[in-house]
Amino acid sequence: MSTPLLETRGVWQRFGGLVANSDVSISVGRGEIVGLIGPNGAGKSTLFNLIAGVLPPTQGTIWFDGEDVTALPAAERCVRGVARTFQVVKSFETMSVIDNVIVGALMRNTVMRVARQKAHEVLEFCGLAARANVLASDLVPSEKRRLEVARALATEPKLLLLDECLTGLTPLEAQTGVELVRKVRDTGVTILMVEHVMEIVMPLVDRAIVLDLGKVLVEGKPADVVRDPKVITAYLGDRHAVGA
Amino acid sequence: MDTDFAKRRRRDLIVAFCLAAIAAVVPLFVKDSYVQNIMVLTLMWAALSQSWNILSGYCGQISLGHALYFGIGAYTTTLLFTKFGVLPWFGMLGGGLISAVIAMGLGYPCFRLRGHYFAIATIVIAEIGLLLFHNWDWAGAALGIEIPVRGDSWLKFQFARSKLPYFYFALALACVAWFVTWWLEDSKWGYWWRAVKDNPDAAESLGVVVFNSKMGAAAVSAFLVAVGGSFYAQFVSYIDPESIMGFHISLLMALPAVLGGIGTLWGPMLGAVILIPVTELTRSYAGGSGRGVDLIVYGGLIIAISLARPQGLVSLFTPRRKEATR
Repeated sequence: MSTPLLETRGVWQRFGGLVANSDVSISVGRGEIVGLIGPNGAGKSTLFNLIAGVLPPTQGTIWFDGEDVTALPAAERCVRGVARTFQVVKSFETMSVIDNVIVGALMRNTVMRVARQKAHEVLEFCGLAARANVLASDLVPSEKRRLEVARALATEPKLLLLDECLTGLTPLEAQTGVELVRKVRDTGVTILMVEHVMEIVMPLVDRAIVLDLGKVLVEGKPADVVRDPKVITAYLGDRHAVGA
Repeated sequence: MDTDFAKRRRRDLIVAFCLAAIAAVVPLFVKDSYVQNIMVLTLMWAALSQSWNILSGYCGQISLGHALYFGIGAYTTTLLFTKFGVLPWFGMLGGGLISAVIAMGLGYPCFRLRGHYFAIATIVIAEIGLLLFHNWDWAGAALGIEIPVRGDSWLKFQFARSKLPYFYFALALACVAWFVTWWLEDSKWGYWWRAVKDNPDAAESLGVVVFNSKMGAAAVSAFLVAVGGSFYAQFVSYIDPESIMGFHISLLMALPAVLGGIGTLWGPMLGAVILIPVTELTRSYAGGSGRGVDLIVYGGLIIAISLARPQGLVSLFTPRRKEATR
């Protein structure tokens, strides 16, 4: 089997006395949709930020596409093919939707005309074409989430990191979001998504990784993971696990 | 949509060209040298504010220390001319380059600071520059330097009899500053700068090297401001630290952009066209009643604008894009 696209090897992250990630080793294969789940404070966002390059891990290494990227800053990882969205959306508020996406598109295209064209294609793909000339600050929340995805896709990533991009949406919006994620995967992009809402993620992902207290608790097919007593304990407490 | 965008860009260019052409013929009819003086200053401050706008408006790094680059430009030209006989044109270029290098040197530590802390750092650094020149005997110290009169010539960029050459140079400078902004606005740098201003973290995640973009903006901005400083030294033919590098210079550079619309193509121009004549006129008509009346007018205008139109006056001319597309 070929090397996985993304791999963390024994990653630790400490914030003072708090251990956010302890000895986390996960891997994501090419073309997969992997869900990273776990209760609040499990260390999902920390691990996510380590992979995106927001901060370096205290210990351990991160490998992307067969290369050690542990020391690379976020912008360099983007060049390698890692793109992300933010849990709390970070649109460029004073810029129009199309301009937001152009910033991403300029990553691979230096000619403005080509970058603009590319941005339009991505907006079309994400269903935001009609809003291209609207200011990002005028979008409704679900559109802002879409914009996050569009902007990331415009950098033509190999790996797309989605940070709770389906959380807080109405069921209908979440459903169209799920369809968009599938569509993205069908173009050959690998996806690692942090998610809270189990019923949305589970049918979507190929594999789920459950974090709890900074460690990998369980890993496997979504159907198996949700039945795992350890996972139920982590989410609901010991009392409920007894019956499982 | 794309054609709309291209059309708007082309329209901006045509409007600018027409305005420049109109401006160019005005002094042929307006012979009054007091009015001409105001026109020269208006164009100069428009150019300076436009240059300031590149770093502080587009890239969002509010500098209140651009007087430093203005001063370096003025001093470089003047010192090279008076001490070594180097023509002002070379001084202008040299001053610009020195300023750009210094801007990057200062940016190296300062761009790690965010928001207000960066602005405070720029004020302090400009103040240090002012004190250095105050105490630098070779550069005239607090007394300043007078540029010796060598007769009217384009070569030495001195004109005692007519303000017209200064006017045309100031006009050219304003055009260049505007055009550079226009050109950068639709370039990789322009997009990167605006992204950095709006959200550096998101920009970084999209492959924007935030630090380098700030450095680029600082260099371009400082270069153009220094050329403006060189011009001003030639125009007034006497410089001293206080009048060239005082805090008010930094402020006067920022205010037209803020008034007209910070981070916009036309904002600094519009702001300067309104502010500079107003301030010059109040200075001459309210001159007897003590210093600072012109600055009170400035302050009053800025307060009024920031209350009524925080996006600046240009926003009066641009229809909200929302309605346009829906």
